[in-house]
Amino acid sequence: MILLQLIYSGIALGMIYAVIAFGYQLTFATSGTLNFGQGEALMLGAMVGLTLVNMGVNYWLMIPLVCIFGFIQGGFVERIGVRPAIKIKSEFGWIMSTIALGIIFKNVAENVWGRDDLRFPGPLPESPINLFGANVLPMELLVIGGAIVMMLAIEFFNRKSIYGKAVVATSNDRDAAGLMGINTGLVITFSYALSSLTAAFAGVLIAPLTLTGATMGAVLGLKAFAVAIIGGLSSGMGVIVGGVILGIAETTTGFYISTGYKDVPGLVLLLLVLAVKPAGLFGKTAIKKV
Amino acid sequence: MTTSPSSSAGLAVRKPNLGLRVVGIVVALAALVFFPIVVPNTYYIHLAETIMIYAILLFGLDIVVGYTGQVSLGHAGLFGIGAYTAGVLAQSGSGMVGASTIWAFGLPIYGTLIVAIAVTAAFGAILALPALRVTGPYLAMVTLAFGTIIQILINEMDFLTAGPLGLKVAKPTLFGHKFDERDYYWLVAAILVIALVVVHRILKSHLGRAFEALRDSPVASDCMGVSVYRYKVYAFVISAGFAGLAGALYTYSEQYISPNTYNFELTVLFLLAIIMGGRKTRTGAILGSLIVVLLPKMLDDITTFRYVATGLAVIVAVGAGITLARGMTTAKRIAIPVIGTVGLAIFSFSLRSVTDWRLTIFGLMILLVVYYLQDGIVGFVRGLFNLGRKASVSVDTTEAEAASHGDALVTTSSDDSKVILDVRGALMQFGGLKALNNVDLSVMSGSIHGLIGPNGSGKSTMMNVLTGIYTPTAGTITYGGREIGGQAPAQIALSGIARTFQNVQLFGEMTALENVLVGLHHTFNANLAEVGLQMPRAKREEAAARERAFSLLQFVGLAYAANEEARNLPYGKQRLLEIARALALDPKLLLLDEPAAGLTAPDIKELVAIIHKIRGHGITVILIEHHMDVVMTVCQTVSVLDFGQKIAEGKPAEIQANEKVIEAYLGGEIGADVAHEAGVH
Repeated sequence: MILLQLIYSGIALGMIYAVIAFGYQLTFATSGTLNFGQGEALMLGAMVGLTLVNMGVNYWLMIPLVCIFGFIQGGFVERIGVRPAIKIKSEFGWIMSTIALGIIFKNVAENVWGRDDLRFPGPLPESPINLFGANVLPMELLVIGGAIVMMLAIEFFNRKSIYGKAVVATSNDRDAAGLMGINTGLVITFSYALSSLTAAFAGVLIAPLTLTGATMGAVLGLKAFAVAIIGGLSSGMGVIVGGVILGIAETTTGFYISTGYKDVPGLVLLLLVLAVKPAGLFGKTAIKKV
Repeated sequence: MTTSPSSSAGLAVRKPNLGLRVVGIVVALAALVFFPIVVPNTYYIHLAETIMIYAILLFGLDIVVGYTGQVSLGHAGLFGIGAYTAGVLAQSGSGMVGASTIWAFGLPIYGTLIVAIAVTAAFGAILALPALRVTGPYLAMVTLAFGTIIQILINEMDFLTAGPLGLKVAKPTLFGHKFDERDYYWLVAAILVIALVVVHRILKSHLGRAFEALRDSPVASDCMGVSVYRYKVYAFVISAGFAGLAGALYTYSEQYISPNTYNFELTVLFLLAIIMGGRKTRTGAILGSLIVVLLPKMLDDITTFRYVATGLAVIVAVGAGITLARGMTTAKRIAIPVIGTVGLAIFSFSLRSVTDWRLTIFGLMILLVVYYLQDGIVGFVRGLFNLGRKASVSVDTTEAEAASHGDALVTTSSDDSKVILDVRGALMQFGGLKALNNVDLSVMSGSIHGLIGPNGSGKSTMMNVLTGIYTPTAGTITYGGREIGGQAPAQIALSGIARTFQNVQLFGEMTALENVLVGLHHTFNANLAEVGLQMPRAKREEAAARERAFSLLQFVGLAYAANEEARNLPYGKQRLLEIARALALDPKLLLLDEPAAGLTAPDIKELVAIIHKIRGHGITVILIEHHMDVVMTVCQTVSVLDFGQKIAEGKPAEIQANEKVIEAYLGGEIGADVAHEAGVH
């Protein structure tokens, strides 16, 4: 039953990847750019959440506050890092500037919260529940549920509300949306804010299961990118499937081979998918017009 | 063809202030050689060594970042592979850390350096595989993933690398002589100079042009016979080779290597160095490496940091003042860097220790460079003093004209009764849309064949199918008796089909002459070693190609603009330049996609004359054009497409009178009326 247990924690981990990857999709759709500091957004969310919890704020009450923080942080990244770089039409300016902001966030976090990993007190009992013959932590179930709720909420917003339609319109054709009177600049800022919000949310979900520290974000961000690629940058279902595949691959590698190698399958999968089907397993191949 | 380089059509390479340059080089070399004698302190010698080693890596990184325009976050990983290859092979097996688990190869330095270059280059090829399919942010992430995997592997494969313990390596011994710090410095300096010369030669050769071309327009590169696929791999392999060399040298320099060195920070540091120094220049690479090595040392000490921050604030403020006075920028644009650096200076005095904030300062520097120093320091200084690219090809027109009494075009034998291109049942489907629906097309050798039709009728799709950019869903394309459907664009281009593009696809940052030289890429046979060593064949081919390129420019009347960057040419001239570039392929079949679009009336006249001249050399032409007068005057046969189907074919006069054609252009009833009136008239 160890395998089933590994699958459970793999799914929980995979849902975290899916949420972060979902954040990549949001900004990529509207602006064609991604936040290379997405992992740091997650880390900041977890850190701010931990501070709030230590100040005596209830875990459930803390979540909306962290989401607000993530929202503001994402908007900040877009205004400082992405918008000016797009404006000067620098080819990889935004890549460098979001990396730079990520480095700065990490360094500031190290100076504010220290370099040691901290424990994040979970809101749920730590005793495992027996599910189909294998143990699963209540927190893992919360992660899975929370991730799905977050993604559904954003999808619902995009499909049903008029503001969401502005986001979808911008994703389809930025220029045409601009000509129809949509403030596409604002939509892009909004998508970044939303993307960091999901990352910060993922941060407080995962933190009680792992340790919290300034360096927790980098690898998570990279592997979430792998998930976004494996699933396809345009497919919502893809990131969930991709995330779960990667999460399970990782927990089983960690157990059966060596924890040192647990990051390898995801990255190798990323290289393979890009070499074989760059649009991702669920993405549509675009035809390039000459 | 003249072989002597001196008579190469007056195409001398002009170096402004040649004397000054020689003096500069001599001074720089002398400084390099005498530095360890003047400054005997081993700490500083070691620092200088590190700068040179980073510079070697940056030469290679610049090939990928500056020339092919790809972001690589994997170079720290490649650097690590080089370092560990040398480190593992140099182990002699006695008294080392973790020596019992290491195989004792005990290879001497010349062996380890060569193996390190080879192994790292092989990894570069692996890294290039995904790079062939993706670009931009995808590639950045992929290379980052690659770098991360390498770091994990170095850490985990402790049977080979001793894992986190690291490896100790002694300074090399050569011919019984044990190198001390100073000897090793000279070795690194010598290798730096060699690397500099070799990389410079590679980048100024046809290989360098190929790298630059695939950055500016991948499609056009492919259609000029420069396979994007192959040259991206080359770029990564050469770049990785330099990274491997640098890594191996680093091992002997540090005498201890551990996995933590080759991390994300280092890779970003390399990128920062190349962008800050200045892309596409060797000076920029050296300058960048100087800054990224020295700066952290300065930041270790708070007092030095305060001086540096204050100095930077003053420099930025003065620089801002100068640019403002010259009207190169606005007060609003420079307000942020001035306030930022002054703020940093003030901030530096409030800090007690700076080491903890090293990465933040580093991040701020990246932002500063990305927004205000995109062309790097070298680019900025050149912009300030209005210096162009330092070695441009000057052309002595009178001499050149005298030299090119012949014509630039190779005359091909054309048999007017033979079919050169035969398309049977071509079908091109995009989802449910049939952009080409069962089109047959026969083009007679030596003719000018017009292809017309309303917008969206499939003309350009036809071009793309013929040149291999699209693989047709069904049907056969026979060219010169061979089936070419499904071949790669570069392959088709090399078999003699050249084209121009409806939306101009020039290599914008390259000069007009260089654009044509890319078209002449197929005339080069010299390999990497021959280029690096400047063997006679490489020199000869380059001289011949330049002469040829210049006469091709003359052919289309652009000789005066040879040194102008293509993006600065007026639109009409850009179209002519595309024709010259296509002719450089020595095509048997030339596809012109709306060459007259956007041209003025006198330009069109010139164009028609050029098309006639091209045909005079036996080159078959397929002409897509909306200017009916052009089509009707130059074409022998005209085919008409509408909604992906061929609706008519024949002599121009027949087409003009064809009711179906008129209907396609003007629409049902009215078309009929017009046709009727025309008939009456």
